[in-house]
Amino acid sequence: MNPRTTQLDRRRFLQVGAAGGAAIVLSTAVGAQPALATRRPDLRVYVLVVDGANPAEVEPLLMPQLSRLRREGTWFANARSLPVMETIPYHVMMMTGVRPDRSGVPANSVFDRREGVVRDLDRPSDLRFPTVIERLNARGATTGTVLSKEYLFGIFGGRATHRWEPKPVLPVTGHAPDAFTVDAAIAMVDRFDPNLLFVNLGDVDRVGHSDLTGPVLQAARTAALVSSDLQVGRFVEHLRRTGRWNRSVVIALADHSMDWSLVTNVVSVAQILSGRPDLRDHLQIAQNGGADLLYWTGRANRRTAALDEIRRLVRAHPGVLSVQRPDQLRLGAEAGDLVCFARAGWRFSDTTALSNPIPGNHGHPVTEPIPFLVSGGHPAVRRGVVRSEPARTLDVAPTVGALFGLGAPRGGYDGTARTSAFTRLPVSR
Amino acid sequence: MAAVPSRAGATPPRTPPGQSRPRFHHGVASGDPLPDAVVLWTRVTPRPGDDPGTGRGPVVDVTWEVAADAQFRRIVRSGTVRTGPDRDHTVKVDATRLTPGTWYWYRFRCQGSTSPVGRTRTAPAHSAATPRLRMAVVSCANWQAGWFTAYRHLAERRDLDLVLHLGDYLYEYAPGEYQARDVVVRPHDPPREMTALADYRRRHGQYKTDPDLQALHAVAPWVVTWDDHESANDAWAGGAENHTAGAEGEWRRRRSFAQRAYAEWMPVRYEAGGRLYRRLRFGRLASLSMLDLRTYRDEQVGSPVDPALGDPDRTITGREQFRFLLDGLADRQVQWKLVGNPVMITPVRFPNALDTRLADGISTLVDAPLPPVQGVPYNVDQWDGYPVERARVLGHLRDRGIRDTVFLTGDIHSGWACDLPIDGLTYPVNGNSVGVELVCTSVTSDNLDDITNSPPRTTSRAVETAFKASNPHIRYLDFDSHGFSVLQVTPAGAQMDWYVLTDRTDPNAAAVHSVSYRVRAGTQKVEPAPRRLV
Repeated sequence: MNPRTTQLDRRRFLQVGAAGGAAIVLSTAVGAQPALATRRPDLRVYVLVVDGANPAEVEPLLMPQLSRLRREGTWFANARSLPVMETIPYHVMMMTGVRPDRSGVPANSVFDRREGVVRDLDRPSDLRFPTVIERLNARGATTGTVLSKEYLFGIFGGRATHRWEPKPVLPVTGHAPDAFTVDAAIAMVDRFDPNLLFVNLGDVDRVGHSDLTGPVLQAARTAALVSSDLQVGRFVEHLRRTGRWNRSVVIALADHSMDWSLVTNVVSVAQILSGRPDLRDHLQIAQNGGADLLYWTGRANRRTAALDEIRRLVRAHPGVLSVQRPDQLRLGAEAGDLVCFARAGWRFSDTTALSNPIPGNHGHPVTEPIPFLVSGGHPAVRRGVVRSEPARTLDVAPTVGALFGLGAPRGGYDGTARTSAFTRLPVSR
Repeated sequence: MAAVPSRAGATPPRTPPGQSRPRFHHGVASGDPLPDAVVLWTRVTPRPGDDPGTGRGPVVDVTWEVAADAQFRRIVRSGTVRTGPDRDHTVKVDATRLTPGTWYWYRFRCQGSTSPVGRTRTAPAHSAATPRLRMAVVSCANWQAGWFTAYRHLAERRDLDLVLHLGDYLYEYAPGEYQARDVVVRPHDPPREMTALADYRRRHGQYKTDPDLQALHAVAPWVVTWDDHESANDAWAGGAENHTAGAEGEWRRRRSFAQRAYAEWMPVRYEAGGRLYRRLRFGRLASLSMLDLRTYRDEQVGSPVDPALGDPDRTITGREQFRFLLDGLADRQVQWKLVGNPVMITPVRFPNALDTRLADGISTLVDAPLPPVQGVPYNVDQWDGYPVERARVLGHLRDRGIRDTVFLTGDIHSGWACDLPIDGLTYPVNGNSVGVELVCTSVTSDNLDDITNSPPRTTSRAVETAFKASNPHIRYLDFDSHGFSVLQVTPAGAQMDWYVLTDRTDPNAAAVHSVSYRVRAGTQKVEPAPRRLV
């Protein structure tokens, strides 16, 4: 049974028109809406992820709309992501508030020992911790997801009350352009007005990956930043124009930033171990751009010695920054036995040196810095403030939860509610 | 309110005859603030003639008091310590169990005498969201070259959380060996190069009689490190340019004297034989890693084209301190990583478009011969002389995505604001900076116009232009002025104001705001600031 199909079968579909005349298909969980009308709070929270943006790029000339949000809200200047700096785990961390060893989602790509394949963690069942989306739904609020990437659409499945399936999806990139994504977000706001809307804008990341000028100029990416910022502005303007702004809190952030490597700066663990078939033949590699996850598949009694030797050989490569155990990073069993990080300006390419030809990558520590701001027209938002607290993507769920008066999940959050961004919490528990 | 000594005491100390009660001629000081502790310092002169470096005088008990108010109505901590000739009658106390982020007043008592009152402040709690940290930044104060007017102007401000001294707090030279151009404004005591323990103690004692220095010590806690002149010029692990083995004894013994006197006379959480490098923290806002770049470094290369420059094993920090530095830079819990860095880390290439006289002047300033070849590092006593280790530091910043790192530097008697490019080749195109460096000028020590014997801000301007053209990451450079800097750090950015003295040889010189540069959070780039700090 395909869990995604099952969830979709339980949804109602609605086709609405967009500004450009294209049709947008939104789906709604069957039976969800009638119970909500009388209990839902007035607050609206919009989590906007500008996928792959760097905090230094949020400046008035390049991204005037986000800069305005920054100026009119609270900016967390020391915000960073956590390993592994990849899109799926980061969006999961945002919505769960817990580390991968509790959510089950440590990276985009893992080796699934049960199925014996390297695959993306893009199934709803891969995420095993309750998200703030479901928890809000249970409290009578409504939620929506507008996620531009197919694998994000996949993993979040039917959790939200309302969701958009990304369309049109560009070949190769597997994402819907930001203009369409924001069309969908606006349509969802107009049609369903969810209390929490989770939006991923993928252009900056997708263009950045393929920007051949990345190591020096980042010309294409710069254009994408300008374009994505315009879309953010369009969404915010819609909130203002439709009278929603005064009850809106906008949390705008990225999941990771981006780093570029020359074609010569490639690390292939398979190649490093090519002279050691005793190691290579018993190892699975899940490549995540700036990080590789390594899984020992040989005999258990050789595991410790083999991993020590693999660590030694891989660390000796000039493009490798570190090799760590997943438990040191709270990544959980799904992350395998060793996690390798690239230095800035390098990327992993496995299983062959040609497997990862794209210049722009993330997943390694150089891509940790992220923009993270809390803004909006709600009177509780603290304005014109810059703070030093080490905000993390993990903090989104606790912050959203605090805004809606939602208690911590079982076992508590690993993140911190960034309540310093507010003069008061708008919804009491 | 802290006591500000009068300028009348500006001559070398001699206890007045006939005095019977103990005296506190050398003022009071505090330093190394922690959230719950701060170091308090004074020196007591028990009897007439028990002067610094003499080894004379009885063992005495000194009581210290910390109060929550300037009038000492609410004394919150107190204690008694014993001192004597074994530590030159200096007193150093770590006052603990204090409240974070709080102003305190302190004083000492001994046999009926009471010291001047000092004011100090604890650091914010580690988890505190600190909105602002403001500090004076100073270095290179040569007694013989002028008056410590810069310290007085800083002492008159009421907005400093601390004073950062980046080294060359005092100089080792004999009278006439190093002064203001050719003029000894006031001679050193003892009247010889300091090499023995008694010399170092006596020189520290002389400096501590300066009323402007006393005043600045009394108004805020200091955070200090040494550079070379606290021991001898161009010191390294095994010697110094200004040390003659044999005639001046064995280097390690001489250095141990310098370090012992420093431990005795400075308000620092350091005792001789320990490690000076350490880290302080100011809430979530900033950490301050104070480096010691003299004790562990390899010897400087002989010239900027020495192939040994590329030796990957050469170090300016030593292995343990290098690890300490990298660990501090990687701390994700704090936003600004400030580094008290005695010598410049910015790569500086020497332009060859200078006339011979100016090139000679630069050579004298950096204390090394320079070949007329553009592109060689201009000062191998700085990190430029240890480029492989520097590349590891900058690579660490880049590889780990570390932001908001500011190196705060002295030593070079000039003011600089620089980006720290990871790749000089592509920097002009993409500005690939991984941090910044802000360099304060000297309080009094000679700089370029003094060496070339030119009027200030004349010939040096051409040199500055040439340096900036050859090194586009250098955004500000003033080779001539003396003075001080004030640094403010907030979550939004860090800004340094440079103030210059109208005349270092005039005890009544004015301090004039010269220029302000800032680095906005997350940018790793310096830019002119629109206005000075208020």
